[in-house]
Amino acid sequence: MAAGFKTVEPLEYYRRFLKENCRPDGRELGEFRTTTVNIGSISTADGSALVKQGNTTVICGIKAEFAAPPLDAPDRGYVVPNVDLPPLCSSRFRTGPPGEEAQVTSQFIADVLENSQIIKKEDLCISPGKLAWVLYCDLICLDYDGNILDACTFALLAALKNVQLPEVTINEETALAEVNLKKKSYLNVRANPVATSFAVFDDTLLIVDPTGEEEHLSTGTLTIVMDEEGKLCCLHKPGGSGLTGAKLQDCMSRAVSRHKEVSRLLDEVIQSVTHK
Amino acid sequence: MPGDHRRIRGPEESQPPQLYAADEDELPAARDPTRLRPVYARAGLLSQAKGSAYLEAGGTKVLCAVSGPRQAEGGERGGGPAGAGGEAPAALRGRLLCDFRRAPFSGRRRRAPQGGGEERELGLALQEALEPAVRLGRYPRAQLEVSALLLEDGGSALAAALTAAALALADAGVEMYDLVVGCGLSLAPGPSPTWLLDPTRLEEEHSAAGLTVALMPVLNQVAGLLGSGEGGQTESWTDAVRLGLEGCQRLYPVLQQCLVRAARRRGAAAPS
Repeated sequence: MAAGFKTVEPLEYYRRFLKENCRPDGRELGEFRTTTVNIGSISTADGSALVKQGNTTVICGIKAEFAAPPLDAPDRGYVVPNVDLPPLCSSRFRTGPPGEEAQVTSQFIADVLENSQIIKKEDLCISPGKLAWVLYCDLICLDYDGNILDACTFALLAALKNVQLPEVTINEETALAEVNLKKKSYLNVRANPVATSFAVFDDTLLIVDPTGEEEHLSTGTLTIVMDEEGKLCCLHKPGGSGLTGAKLQDCMSRAVSRHKEVSRLLDEVIQSVTHK
Repeated sequence: MPGDHRRIRGPEESQPPQLYAADEDELPAARDPTRLRPVYARAGLLSQAKGSAYLEAGGTKVLCAVSGPRQAEGGERGGGPAGAGGEAPAALRGRLLCDFRRAPFSGRRRRAPQGGGEERELGLALQEALEPAVRLGRYPRAQLEVSALLLEDGGSALAAALTAAALALADAGVEMYDLVVGCGLSLAPGPSPTWLLDPTRLEEEHSAAGLTVALMPVLNQVAGLLGSGEGGQTESWTDAVRLGLEGCQRLYPVLQQCLVRAARRRGAAAPS
């Protein structure tokens, strides 16, 4: 009976739950899905992380290569993010070049990297004007069940903290780089941006961490990226229904508490890996 | 990449640090040529796909998802005599579309996400090997989409993808005559070349020839065969195929258990 109602009138079905301040999967309006993270599982990548938020699964693999620094900034390296939404994560995506959603997510990740200064590009320079590191951050969504932006940001942060770069010295006589693959060091990750996404229902109600169905039924979405000490890095609100200032403040405070949860989880995981 | 404005631009070209490393090339260690690496298989793990499977063998990690049956694109293709067992006539049979892709971080060098000819060839190999096992006549005018994603290449990637794809099809409830099990082999060069079963990436890089066989274990029929390289005499290739088929048979019980477990999990989760 309930399943039939859900298919015919999905919005009414949801409204009935929201009236009671809860959602069909049993969560409250401000509750996140269970988040798990697994780092360092891909040995061919220099750094990797797999994040599962409810059913949404994103894997991030980082490969570091050498390149000449850009001409207009000879003391900087590159960080190149790329989000891939393959057909295996959801039936709405087709094979071929990245669609609109993949491009939007890639740009969002690039903005987060830029605004939060998580990696200082100057740290990636080996020899100004001649050699610098390029970090190719490839994020692949394995299972798309809503809230891809949060999962991608978390996967990227975890993978960056897992990256180990070999030591490079420039030989003065031959002017060639010499790489010592045995000696590796971690990247200097200067910030911890954590994204929190909200979906707006019927122009008034805000729910946190929407699933795929909830995103489909919502009238707007909002993503807030917070850094340590409640510093706002990035706010992503692509159209949709308007929000009052007070609602926005509520969202920001929820984002601050989420940042604490996520940082604690990430620290625990990193500790458990390095202790092995 | 020049002209690719759908992705964030990076530098024009880049080189992997391994090119500048001072280490000598490692040689693969000697080992029993018939050893199979322990396999971890799990079906039914993606929520959005009709059927899915994850296979891990040594360092090779493959994830495969199946969606469909969906209406086939491409116009009507006339009728003909009906097949046996109430199946659709040959021209109206369903299609299997296979897509094989490697993650950019799966190999030693980063690969551009676009992929290229090799991935298309492997996708076609997957399709050719899976078609004999699937009862496509039961899905007239429909298409089944199989996508395999290689997360980490630790050797015998195509074989692992074949096995994962067959598991995913079974998990999706697609009607099949039998599972398809894949096994990789490579020929170690040297004074007395030997065929190694289930090679690691290092062994594949140092090999003179490579072979992937796909077997339907219960029917004991070969579903697919793909090989290339300097293998020497014909007898050498037949020995290799025999070795590969034995390897597939040895792998079969693990996959059976995996599907039974997945079915149990599905039964427990579904409310009656």
